[in-house]
Amino acid sequence: MTDPSGARRRPDHLTPVPSPRPEPNAGRAEADAGRAEADGLLRAVALGDEAAFGRLYDLVAARVYGLVRRVLRDPAQAEEVAQEVLVEVWRTATRFDPARGSATSWICTIAHRRAVDRVRAEQASAERQVRVATSPAETPHDEVPDQAARRLEQQQVRRCLGDLTELQREAITLAYYAGHTYREVAELLGAALPTVKTRMRDGLIRLRDCLGVLGVEVTR
Amino acid sequence: MSDIHTLVGAYVLDAVDDLERAAFDRHLADCPSCATEVGELLETAARLADGAWSVPPPRLRAEVLAQVSRTRQERPAPRPGRDGRSTVSRWRTVTAAAVAAAVLTVAAGVTSYLVQQQRVRDERAATVAARAELDRMQEILDEPDLVVRRGGLSFGGRLTVLTSPARDAGVALLAGAPPVPPDRAYQLWLMAGTTPRPAGVLTAGAGDDSAVLAGLSGMSAVAVTVEPASGSAQPTTDVLASVPLT
Repeated sequence: MTDPSGARRRPDHLTPVPSPRPEPNAGRAEADAGRAEADGLLRAVALGDEAAFGRLYDLVAARVYGLVRRVLRDPAQAEEVAQEVLVEVWRTATRFDPARGSATSWICTIAHRRAVDRVRAEQASAERQVRVATSPAETPHDEVPDQAARRLEQQQVRRCLGDLTELQREAITLAYYAGHTYREVAELLGAALPTVKTRMRDGLIRLRDCLGVLGVEVTR
Repeated sequence: MSDIHTLVGAYVLDAVDDLERAAFDRHLADCPSCATEVGELLETAARLADGAWSVPPPRLRAEVLAQVSRTRQERPAPRPGRDGRSTVSRWRTVTAAAVAAAVLTVAAGVTSYLVQQQRVRDERAATVAARAELDRMQEILDEPDLVVRRGGLSFGGRLTVLTSPARDAGVALLAGAPPVPPDRAYQLWLMAGTTPRPAGVLTAGAGDDSAVLAGLSGMSAVAVTVEPASGSAQPTTDVLASVPLT
C-alpha cells in the first residue's frame, strides 16, 4: 500500500483547501485499479460466478452500505436496503454494460435509487418530516482498515465539493445525501425551481471536471 | 436541446419524481449526445458515495451470499429502461406534455412487449391493436383539461390516472408494480360507490402497463386488483390501490 504523503495530512473537513490542483498520483493508480477490478468481477458475476460475487461484495459493500445509510440514517433500514441492493446487483448483473460506465458507478446508481425509493415510500405512508441536512463532514464514518486509495478518493471528493458555490453544493448534497427532490431542495433553500435545476447541473459539471471523470463515449 | 434537458442534474441525483423520470428517459432515447452527458454525470454522482463509506455489520455478508445462492439471475435481455418503485401518494396536476411523454414511454414499452408475446400467433393483429390503443391514449392526453391523479399503493408500485372530463375518458398507468405470475394480471376497476365495473385487464404478468378508461361519468374511483389473466367479472382479491376520481 502506497502512502499518499501530502494528501494524508490534509485536514479532514469540507473547507476548501488551497492546494495545487493535481493530487499526488500515489493512491490514484490504486483507486483506478480498484475500479478496474470491480469491472472485471461484475462481468464474471454476470456469468453466474458466485465466488466473484463474494470478492465483489468485499470490494463494494462498505460503499453501498455507507451510501444507503447516509441517505436513510437508520442503520437497520440501511442494512435491509443494502441487502436488497447487493442481491439486485447479482440478479441484474447481466444488464451491466462496461461501455456505458464503471461497475462501481453502476452499483452506486442502484444503491442510491433504492435508498431514495425508500425515503419516498416512507414519505408517502407517513406524514412528511423534513430531514435536517448535514454537511458531509458532519457524518461520522466508521473506522475501517486504512486504505490510501479510499482516503485519497474521499479527500478529493471533499475538496471538489468545497470548490463549488454554496448553492451548488447545497443543492447537490441535499439531493444526493438526504434524498430530497429538487422541488424539496428549492423549498428548503428558498430558491426558485429553475435555479435549483441549473445549480444541480452546473455543479455536477464542475465536480466532473474537478474529479477528472472521463466520459466513456466522449467524442469531442 | 429541449426544455426537459434542464432536468439532467436532478435526474442524475434521483431528485425527480416518477413522471419526470419517465419523461427524461424518453428524451434520452432521442438524444445520443445527452446520453453521453448523463453517463458522465452519473459517474460523477457515484463518486459522491466515496465520502459515505461505512463498514456494514458482518452478518450482512452471510445474508447476502445466502440469498444470492438461491436467487436466479436475469437473462440478458435488453428491455426498455424504466425503473424506480417509490410509492408516491399525492395529487398534482402536471403539464399535459410531461404526462403524455411518461405514459407513452410505458405504452411504447408495452407495445413492443405485446409484439414479442404475440409474434408466433398473431403479430399483425397485436401490433394494430396496440397502435390503435396508443393513438387513443395520445388523443386523450392531448386534451387541455387533462387531470392527473396519483394513488398511494400498498404493494410497491404506482397507479396514475389521467382523465379528460371533456372526453369522458382517461388513461390508467401502472408503473413499478411487482410482476405477477404469467397466468395472473393486474385488472382495473371503475368504482361507482362500492360497485366495481371491470375496466380492463392489463398484460398478463406485467407490472408496468397502461390502459384506456372509458365512461367515467358517475364513477368515483379507479381501483386495481390481481386477477386471473383472463380477467374477472368481480374482484376476487383485495384492492391494492384506489385512486379517487372526485
